[in-house]
Amino acid sequence: MIRRLVLDVLKPHNPGIVELSNELSELDGVEGVNIVTYEIDQRVENVKIILGGNNINFEEVKKKLESLGAAIHSVDEVAAGTRIVEEVGTPQDKSARL
Amino acid sequence: MKFLDKIKDYIRISRVAPIGRRYFIMNAFDGAMTSLGIVIGAYVAGDPEPLFIISAGLGASLAMGLSGFVGAYVTEEAERSRELDSLERSMLKDLEKSRIGEASRFASLWAGIIDGLSPVLAAIVCLVPFFFSFLFSVALATELSIVIALLVLFMLGAFLGKISSRNMFLHGIKLLCVGLVLTLILLVFRSIG
Repeated sequence: MIRRLVLDVLKPHNPGIVELSNELSELDGVEGVNIVTYEIDQRVENVKIILGGNNINFEEVKKKLESLGAAIHSVDEVAAGTRIVEEVGTPQDKSARL
Repeated sequence: MKFLDKIKDYIRISRVAPIGRRYFIMNAFDGAMTSLGIVIGAYVAGDPEPLFIISAGLGASLAMGLSGFVGAYVTEEAERSRELDSLERSMLKDLEKSRIGEASRFASLWAGIIDGLSPVLAAIVCLVPFFFSFLFSVALATELSIVIALLVLFMLGAFLGKISSRNMFLHGIKLLCVGLVLTLILLVFRSIG
């Protein structure tokens, strides 16, 4: 039962993120969508898509994105279960930064 | 998604609307001018038979329609395929089955349909008086047909003015003048002949 999904997606400029967010929000199990563009190229753009809901179907999301010409580069975060567990900092993160 | 919504979606994604407008005006203009030429040409030649004018007008407009459809479809298809290939290279992905691919194929067909239908419609509208020539004389049908053709030209110009947010009347007059010039040239031929 996926509650949160964070995706790194490469997409053409058209359809834009307004339409993309509308299309994704209409999927079953999705309650909220947030899309941030972080890189724009001449023909394509990279966006971070954050989906929130009570039962997100990853395959449906993937199918919808592919039908719109977008490609999932990576799944950056997934939260599943009855409670959303947030990422926590650990000493290893600190040492990794050093 | 409903059929009409899907068409609207494809038109928006493929951005074919401005191209469609251009094709429509260019070819409706051709259709109206051809009709005008046939009607006045027949009048200049002597006593025209309504059936002859209708046949010549429909024949010419159908030829224009078919050539318009094929020409626009083939050209647009080649351009759109090139664009899609370029996008596929950027995406490193096959987009043929995506909505962009579908919209791209639709855009070629849409451009062809508009390019094919617009001259036929414009020509038929201009020839309407001859379909009712059993009600009035051929001379009156000719005059009415000329007036309708000039009106169609004026409306096409006004439409151009509207989409360019300029003076609709002035743009209408511009295209009307082209029709008037053709009318005058052919009438001069008649007076010479």
